[in-house]
Amino acid sequence: MKQAHCIYQDDTHRWLAIARDPTKPGYIIDTNEYVVVHGEEALLCDPGGIEIFPAVFSALSAECDPTRLAGIFASHQDPDIISSLALWLEFKPDLKCYTSWLWQSFLPHFGGQDSTFVTIPDPGMTIRLGGLELQAIPAHYLHSSGNFHLYDPKAKILFSGDVGAALLPPDHNELYVEDFSRHIRHAEGFHKRWMGSDRAKRDWCERVSRLDIDMMVPQHGAIYQGADVQRFINWFAALEVGVLRG
Amino acid sequence: MNAPERNLHFTSTNSGELARIVRVNEEIKAIVATAFRINLMALNAIFLAKRAGNAALGFGVLSNELRRFAQDLTRHMASLRDMTSGSVGSVTGVVQQQRNSAILAAAIRLSGDGVPGVREARKRGATRLAEQQAKLRTLDMRLRASVEETQQLVELGGVLARSAKIEAAYGGGFSPALMQVSTDFAEVIAQIKRSLEILGKERLVKD
Ligand SMILES: [Fe+2]
Ligand SMILES: [Fe+2]
Repeated sequence: MKQAHCIYQDDTHRWLAIARDPTKPGYIIDTNEYVVVHGEEALLCDPGGIEIFPAVFSALSAECDPTRLAGIFASHQDPDIISSLALWLEFKPDLKCYTSWLWQSFLPHFGGQDSTFVTIPDPGMTIRLGGLELQAIPAHYLHSSGNFHLYDPKAKILFSGDVGAALLPPDHNELYVEDFSRHIRHAEGFHKRWMGSDRAKRDWCERVSRLDIDMMVPQHGAIYQGADVQRFINWFAALEVGVLRG
Repeated sequence: MNAPERNLHFTSTNSGELARIVRVNEEIKAIVATAFRINLMALNAIFLAKRAGNAALGFGVLSNELRRFAQDLTRHMASLRDMTSGSVGSVTGVVQQQRNSAILAAAIRLSGDGVPGVREARKRGATRLAEQQAKLRTLDMRLRASVEETQQLVELGGVLARSAKIEAAYGGGFSPALMQVSTDFAEVIAQIKRSLEILGKERLVKD
């Protein structure tokens, strides 16, 4: 059962993780969705695919008022990220969808109108949510050519999209990474194959190393916290990416 | 348990509506092809009448009329085809709206009652669906009216074919050849009538 877990709270400022769903059929990749709540407004990060919309909607509604959703942050254009867009708009037609300018004319194939999309320029931008300033951090070519992560400097949380993703076996349902070296084995194949650019990877590692991060929350797999965040960055920096096999 | 539900897949009962449009289009295509054949047959008949000379003057006039009929029929079918291709958009809208509403309803069921905003969302969806269905019904009415008009035109074609048969009897030495041509006309027109009957029974929306 998909459930929303509160992973950060400071007064009305919260991060909810709608983590993996063990009851989901195996042919659909498992995803995590995250909700940033600040005051009266909420932002949903990578809302997921059409198939899991009911599960995400109900998990979100259990923890926060869905009418407060002000926007959706789409790290990139993949179906497991944003194919549910039309359904969220069905619920709330005035939702804004923040995404790379690159996907502005592609995402309407999933739903929405011109006024739905707020495009993020390549260097990134600030996204305001009920007085909170979130940063869209460039992560281009990791893996999508127009790709952003979302950093919350107050909560010190980095939503890292597909970076940090691990394709965990069905019996690994832990919310947080418990044993980094055991965990990272499930991330290796994914990063080698999906991440296409070594240069982009090194840029990203440098960029996020300068950020103060307590938690790195990926779209697939478990959450990295504390020292595991830097451990991941170091591991990723050393990893050979853009390889077909091996 | 909130795993994706099987009924969220593309098994909407309304996928039948797209299949109906396909059937309508196929029938229209068949009539267009037949109209093209009448046009060619009429051209041949005109030449034949010319060769028969004075004995087939009446037949020649009728062949010209039949040719004009084939051209009118082609125009009618073109406008029918425009209508059906327009209806593909409307049907897709209805199917999409119904699917979205069904998934949202599943989400609301899972969330339990009392989630803010769901009643408004449901109402909006129902309104949009009603609008799209009304649009489709209007298109359906226009399509039926247009089929009826075409049926009247084809009645006229039938009369022309019968008259051609009578004229053929006066064709002298050319009589057997003219008779054959007018019998072919009558057969082809009967075929169009059958297609139009099928078309008249098809509905873009269920009553
Ligand atoms: Fe992706
Ligand atoms: Fe993904």
